[in-house]
Amino acid sequence: MSALAFTLKIKPVQRVDCSPLTPDLLAGKSAKDIAATLLQSGRQQLQADQVFDISGNDSSNIEFSNSNGKLDFIGAHMSCGSVTVHGDVGSYLGLQMKKGSLTVHGNADAYAACGMAGGLLHILGNAGDFIGGALPGDRKGMRGGTVIVTGNAGDRAGDQMRRGVLLIEGDAGEYCASRMIAGTIGVMGKVGKYVGFGMRHGTILLFKPTDFHTTIQDCGHHTLPYLNLMFKSFTPLPSKFAHLSQNRVQKFGGDLASDGKGEILIFA
Amino acid sequence: MLIKLTGGRVYDPAHGIDGKVMDIYARDGRIVAKPKDTERIDQEYQLAGKVVMAGAIDMHTHIGGGKVNIARMMLPEDHRGDPVGHSELCRAGCGHAAPSTLTTGYRYAEMGYTAGFEPAVLPMNARQAHLEMGDVPIIDKGGYAMLGSDDMLLRMLAAKKDQNAINDYVAWTLHASQAMGIKVVNPGGISAFKFNQRMLDLDENNSYYQVTPREVLKTLARAVYELGVPHPLHIHGNNLGVPGNVETTLNTMLGAEGYPIHLTHIQFHSYGTEGDRKFSSGAARIAEAINQRKNVSADVGQILFGQTVTASGDNMAQFRNHAAGSPKKWVVMDIECDAGCGVVPFKYKDKNFVNALQWAIGLEIFLLVEDPWRIFLTTDHPNGAPFTSYPHLIRLLMDKTFRKEAFSRISPDAQAMSTLGSIEREYTLYEIAIMTRAGAAKLVGLHDRGHLGAGAAADITVYTDDADREKMFTKPDHVFKDGQLVVKDGSVVKVTWGATHVVKPEFDRGIEKDIAKYFDAYHTVRMEHVKVTDQHIADDGRGHVQVHECKGRREKTT
Repeated sequence: MSALAFTLKIKPVQRVDCSPLTPDLLAGKSAKDIAATLLQSGRQQLQADQVFDISGNDSSNIEFSNSNGKLDFIGAHMSCGSVTVHGDVGSYLGLQMKKGSLTVHGNADAYAACGMAGGLLHILGNAGDFIGGALPGDRKGMRGGTVIVTGNAGDRAGDQMRRGVLLIEGDAGEYCASRMIAGTIGVMGKVGKYVGFGMRHGTILLFKPTDFHTTIQDCGHHTLPYLNLMFKSFTPLPSKFAHLSQNRVQKFGGDLASDGKGEILIFA
Repeated sequence: MLIKLTGGRVYDPAHGIDGKVMDIYARDGRIVAKPKDTERIDQEYQLAGKVVMAGAIDMHTHIGGGKVNIARMMLPEDHRGDPVGHSELCRAGCGHAAPSTLTTGYRYAEMGYTAGFEPAVLPMNARQAHLEMGDVPIIDKGGYAMLGSDDMLLRMLAAKKDQNAINDYVAWTLHASQAMGIKVVNPGGISAFKFNQRMLDLDENNSYYQVTPREVLKTLARAVYELGVPHPLHIHGNNLGVPGNVETTLNTMLGAEGYPIHLTHIQFHSYGTEGDRKFSSGAARIAEAINQRKNVSADVGQILFGQTVTASGDNMAQFRNHAAGSPKKWVVMDIECDAGCGVVPFKYKDKNFVNALQWAIGLEIFLLVEDPWRIFLTTDHPNGAPFTSYPHLIRLLMDKTFRKEAFSRISPDAQAMSTLGSIEREYTLYEIAIMTRAGAAKLVGLHDRGHLGAGAAADITVYTDDADREKMFTKPDHVFKDGQLVVKDGSVVKVTWGATHVVKPEFDRGIEKDIAKYFDAYHTVRMEHVKVTDQHIADDGRGHVQVHECKGRREKTT
């Protein structure tokens, strides 16, 4: 059994909805059926084999190669297996993903890990806006699982995040953790303005001094033993976050304009 | 063009026809008597064994006006979750609880409905409501103009203006908003909410105007009657959803003092306070009262389990209920000081005691009210359930085995509080035809719809008789709208545009002076700009206005 490989062979004019190409939906399908899978692209429906060269047969282990930013919804709703992408991906990567692992050797566009409920999503490049957030109109963002971004993340990372772990090794844009409900967000690089805007609960780990808006307040320096437990849970992760040990932090609380039970911990 | 529908089993309660096999002829969109043998039939449909009825009429469905748009905006997940692709004929759309305008029209037609009436056209927003309904294809539309919490009327009542002036104002409103009737929502209560009142019972004063709901109701019911408007005052009563509101509803019936009234989504107004949880069914008392009082009609507003959204002018009730909403988002707002609006998404669950009992109460009312001419089949779309669940509801009414089986699955506590399990009645096809066709047309005041006699519009639905009534009513074989075949085998085959039904009772134009002065002093627009003309509705060539007669304007009373 070799990994089921999709190699992009055309330059798509419109965006291509790749949500049918997940381990769940391709399980038990013949090569012929997989080739005939219909993918929505703008107003058209394209057959999978019109878009990709397809090889391999292990549908629980899917690989996309030569990918570019026109491929949306990769790994959407997946609940098993693994998906690996070589190249950039479009929006909605791992949308409402439930289980399994999804790795991208490239950059992802907006709304990656939106409404994600479980599993591991690893983006080795940069991520766009609203990573781990909620789709427009929804009241809850990511609600479980782990997301690692080796590069930078765009604006509104973790918007309305409800649970789970979002780890960004590079910088994060503005309004990081906006309207956060709960969960954990770590940013090793710089964060933009208004971090924690409207956050109600949850924990943000920051590693660079940052300016906060008025309704985030300084709560002094603390030694927090529970951090050791949290960091221990990070140790298996393929990330710089696996090597943390410090538990002395400066704590900020907020956003006082909305409940104010969130905490922003600065390791500096 | 002459078409002939041959050999179908016809249910036409307006003419007392109950399942008689007969032929129906239609020429140029109208039903005609049997033509001479020499005349050439252009199209003939062989309908032996099929069931033929007039096109169904939904007399209370929220398909236009600002609140539906708010519901759409607030619930992108409703749209994402139910996309509808475009076809050769139909344009794309989406939405389960609050479908897009086009999808609304297609889905109604595909279910055999040929008319729907929007029950909350705010005069100030009438133009938007008509534009939106103008975008609903195939079916006929109409609306009831909302009065009762508007500043102008409450001022008139507070100043004890005489009934004639109020009649003129009501008639002016019908003209200006191109409406088929008058609706009152939580009489005086929408206004009272803005003066920080959170409850308003029938005899409680609006704290600002010192006017009671009872006065508002009686005055408007009388105005509608005296103007000769065929549709009686359409009442959404006080205390919607409050346990114990059965008393309010019974008092409302008394308060009409014999004037004809229509109590809408009465299920939400039939709650008692018995039992451990202080929530019980008032269906038996309500049904008994309706059976006794011939001036009262009602539609049920049945709830069915699943996700939907409630959109109502009753800001007081919506504010009260917002915490029970799901998903957690809601809107309650004022509209131009004339009314209010509240939109709260709801998910009704069969294992939830309250929801399960609401479901049972609705069905109890259907089955205990004896006269199908005075009880109507609605889910108060989308408040109780989307209109697409009507076939399921019809099966619940027509099939007691199915109903009892469904009853056995709801919350056991609710079962213990309901008599539904012991009710044996099953609706017949004839009674369903009354509720959804002949009766609805009569109630709304549509003289040429809802029946199959000569002169009626050729709005006809043909079903395949099936013991599974849900299946039967989901997918009609043929639907004709004004003589044109619009749906075949449950799919749209032609897209037409229906009429907008209105009434235009006579009134003393002198009232416009007062109204214009009022608009100049208090409103953001001039009176002239509020009026919707026939031209505005017909402008894009897709709609037209059909005026219905207001018979016998009653003697002015002093």
